[in-house]
Amino acid sequence: MMARVKPPRSAFLNFPLGHQCGRPHDVSLQARVLKDALNVLTTAAHPGEIVDLPYEWDTPFAFSDFMKALESMLQEEGATPQDWQPEK
Amino acid sequence: MKPIDYVSALNEMYQCQGFPPYKWSEFDTSPWSSLSKPLNECCLALISSAGIFRDDQDPFDPWAVNDLSFRQIPTDTPFERLKLHHNYFDHRDAVKDLNCVFPVQRLKELEAEGYVGSFAPTAVTLGMGRLYKRTALQNETVPEILAVLKREGADSVLLVPA
Repeated sequence: MMARVKPPRSAFLNFPLGHQCGRPHDVSLQARVLKDALNVLTTAAHPGEIVDLPYEWDTPFAFSDFMKALESMLQEEGATPQDWQPEK
Repeated sequence: MKPIDYVSALNEMYQCQGFPPYKWSEFDTSPWSSLSKPLNECCLALISSAGIFRDDQDPFDPWAVNDLSFRQIPTDTPFERLKLHHNYFDHRDAVKDLNCVFPVQRLKELEAEGYVGSFAPTAVTLGMGRLYKRTALQNETVPEILAVLKREGADSVLLVPA
């Protein structure tokens, strides 16, 4: 998504969506991610540069896991499903 | 591990359900301005699109469609007073610790440490979701957000997309 939008400078953390700044309550990881991201402000050499951050999520994840997680979250929270439909 | 190509996967999934193709924002070039001073002299502002609002503010719709609004959140607001309404990602970890998508506590520490010059006292949050009004977003919402950032004296902005 970042590669399409091309913000002036980006740092990419390859974690599941919802963890853009790291794992919950992992203060030191969050601080490292933020420092790395902020450093890109000064180190980026060209517009649209994306820096891949060197942190790994502990388990493999795919798009199907993203959808399964969403479903289980909605069920757990008793949330109403989305009722919006495309205009025909 | 290879990153998930959310754009292709979401396109495929929604088009199978009969939705028209989503027009993702795509640009050929990036705007650019050099940082005018070192990071430890810069005022840094935070923008997060994770649907966060204060308990006395108008709540975001967790299934937002075409929501062009934003909220201004004083960064000294205790996390207990903040809520997250956003059902387009698994927000359970973020609700446990808002720093996952709204890293106010960490940025305050970086300010105290002198890593950044200062942390702007007002953060901006959006709800986003599905948006079919990109022109209105760019022409109406963005100038309002820019006015907030200028008022805060921000030299740099951290965007956390969610």
